[in-house]
Amino acid sequence: MASIKLNKITSVWIISVLLLFIVSIVLGILMRLNQGEVISQSPITFYSNMTTHGLTMIGIWFVAGMAAVNYIMERYVKTSYTVNVLALVLTVIGILMFWASTFIGHFHSAWTFLYPLPFKEMGSETWATLMFLGSLTVLGIGWLIWSISLMTQILKKYSIPQALAWQHLRKNPTVETPPFILISMITLIGVIACLLAAVVLLVLFYAEYFSNGNFVNDALLMKNLTYFFGHTIANEMLYLGLAVIYELFSEVSGRPKWKTTWYVALAWNCTLVFILTAFFHHLYMDFVQPQGFQIIGQLASYFASLPAAGVTVFSIFIAVYRTRIKWSLTNLLFFIGVIGWVIGGLAAVIDSTISNNIVLHNTLWVPAHFHTYNAMGNVLFSLGFFYWFSIQFSDKTKVKKSTTLTLALLLIGGIGFLLAFYIGGAESIPRRYSIYPSELSIGASLATIGAAFASIYFIAILIFFFNISKRCLKILFSSS
Amino acid sequence: MFKNIVFIILTISFLKTTSAQTVSPSLKEESDIYEKIYDAPLILDETQPTPLHELYNTKPLLVVLIFTRCTGVCNPFLLRLKESLQFKAKKDSFNVLVMSFDPRDSIKDMNLLARRFALEDNNQWIFAVTDSIPKLNQSISFYPVWDSIRNQYDHDALLVGVNNEGYITKKLIGMRGGHDLDLLIASVNNVFSPTYRLPNKNVLFSCFNYDPKTGKNKLGLGLLFIALPAILTVLILIVIGFSVRSKASELEESS
Ligand code: HEM
Repeated sequence: MASIKLNKITSVWIISVLLLFIVSIVLGILMRLNQGEVISQSPITFYSNMTTHGLTMIGIWFVAGMAAVNYIMERYVKTSYTVNVLALVLTVIGILMFWASTFIGHFHSAWTFLYPLPFKEMGSETWATLMFLGSLTVLGIGWLIWSISLMTQILKKYSIPQALAWQHLRKNPTVETPPFILISMITLIGVIACLLAAVVLLVLFYAEYFSNGNFVNDALLMKNLTYFFGHTIANEMLYLGLAVIYELFSEVSGRPKWKTTWYVALAWNCTLVFILTAFFHHLYMDFVQPQGFQIIGQLASYFASLPAAGVTVFSIFIAVYRTRIKWSLTNLLFFIGVIGWVIGGLAAVIDSTISNNIVLHNTLWVPAHFHTYNAMGNVLFSLGFFYWFSIQFSDKTKVKKSTTLTLALLLIGGIGFLLAFYIGGAESIPRRYSIYPSELSIGASLATIGAAFASIYFIAILIFFFNISKRCLKILFSSS
Repeated sequence: MFKNIVFIILTISFLKTTSAQTVSPSLKEESDIYEKIYDAPLILDETQPTPLHELYNTKPLLVVLIFTRCTGVCNPFLLRLKESLQFKAKKDSFNVLVMSFDPRDSIKDMNLLARRFALEDNNQWIFAVTDSIPKLNQSISFYPVWDSIRNQYDHDALLVGVNNEGYITKKLIGMRGGHDLDLLIASVNNVFSPTYRLPNKNVLFSCFNYDPKTGKNKLGLGLLFIALPAILTVLILIVIGFSVRSKASELEESS
């Protein structure tokens, strides 16, 4: 059972994530309006906003997943409250430093901060680069300590092979590893690896920054490390959400608890191995990288995502097909989220196939696919958890009419917003253009349509924010 | 024969005076890349002017800028270009447009020049003048300066690659060797050309080290850094796994 302290800190996480989400969506809509030429921002403002939007979104949905996993993990093992608080404090400090670097210092080299961009001032303040690198350091330290702490707690109860459910690959396992523990463990290992990649990357950035030109980095090494960190964390945060679904979907649907089977264990172990090399698909255009790496990138992209997606979809399908289940907002959000994750995942696999990437590389197809599994996937996983958490202490679990309306707004807004990106991608409209040249005028029209639909999505999020935050505030200020 | 000897002597003597131009690529070459060249109306013969786009739509172009009264780089530049292009494998994939930037030049002067170079019957070579010199020059950042003492233009030996959509894909300034021309020809045909960074002793951790002699990449120390996070993670996992388990069994034994 979760302690009062854990309930309270989880409430703080939820309110903070939702608040930051609202600000970041506003920045996203402003970007689309600028691309649609409805408003006019200077390129520096656009790119600072894009950087703020991208990294804040990645950051908040990562910590949302971690907070949810931390909360549920208490059912199986004892977790550290102090580390949870430390992670919260460092996340707040890190985000404030990051926003100072972008909003005040105009740092604008995108959330991927590809070397050597952070070292080119291009209109930003001289201190902004160091502030940005500092913010990543603070965030990275907080998250690394948190992940290692959670992993340690799992290992106190389960041995390494048990935590990875290897005994389920044989017949009649004696020890049962719950799917939640298996997926959390797999994900935490991946998170630790990618955060360590960030550490190596940051050390190399600092080394060049302070060396007065005596040390210069290799651009290819920096790109590899950047995507080792960036690609991996963006994927692992989805798996945090899936761990929660494996635990809660059956529970809130009034169905028997899901169990780890040999194919679930195998699929998730595949993810563990392959997710760490799938980032090579970001380097298809880097011809110096040997062809073998590119092939590994393509195959790893398939093997990291398809087995896990397969078993998850299968489990959900079995759970809902021709069975009377108790639908609530929580499992509806999980259900729609899984569909969004699968569609976005398929679009990603299409893009990661070398022959397609030649056409789709750096077009709007890229934000199309990652917004699908984020805005209509992972966000819904976390919203499902937030809602479930917030109503735990009240007895209203039925889907109300107003809830159906909110869901409809979310779906209509989300789908329209994403379609504008997909059509743009199929039309070869490049990503990350603050305004489109006249040859690509369809990009501007699509951006305006995208902004309109994103505003509908935004209204739904505001409704969720008010409902969930109200309840979380109550938990935060209650004495029991 | 005599003509050729004169040109060769001219070329050799000129190579010395223009050595600054011939050595290394200049930053000026980077300007206007992927911008469109001005669609100037070209006078190719006595008939109606032909817009430049009709030429580049037919085949990508290498645009050479010269003037016929030039006593400087123009003639050796053209001669060297003609000789270099003769031996190119993908000769049919582009045309060469020789443009005068001197308003005094007429199409007759240009035809005479073509004849001097024995190019008048070569379909790949097109000689032209235009009445839109300033706009054309501006679109390729070519700024000749009139020197009234020498009665000559002071100008770069500029070769501009234009693909069949009219985009400037590459520029070469100065008389350049065969390899640079290969890159130019590849670029106008939208063929990717790999480039490698120059060796730098301050780059300690390269993923690959390119050897220009063999054209091969050797594995570098940087690759270790890519593997490092995964190696460290496995180590952390094993160390934590064993230390918490041994603590747990110690506790079990003592209780
Ligand atoms: C309705 C909500 C959202 C809107 C309106 C929005 C809008 C945008 C826009 C316009 C871009 C720039 C696209 C381009 O390359 O041209 C962008 C990039 C991005 N968005 Fe969103 N977005 C939303 C939700 C999300 C969510 C939920 C995430 C979650 C992770 C996210 C993560 C990102 C990232 C990582 C980038 C890339 C930034 C970069 O290139 O540096 N966005 N978004």
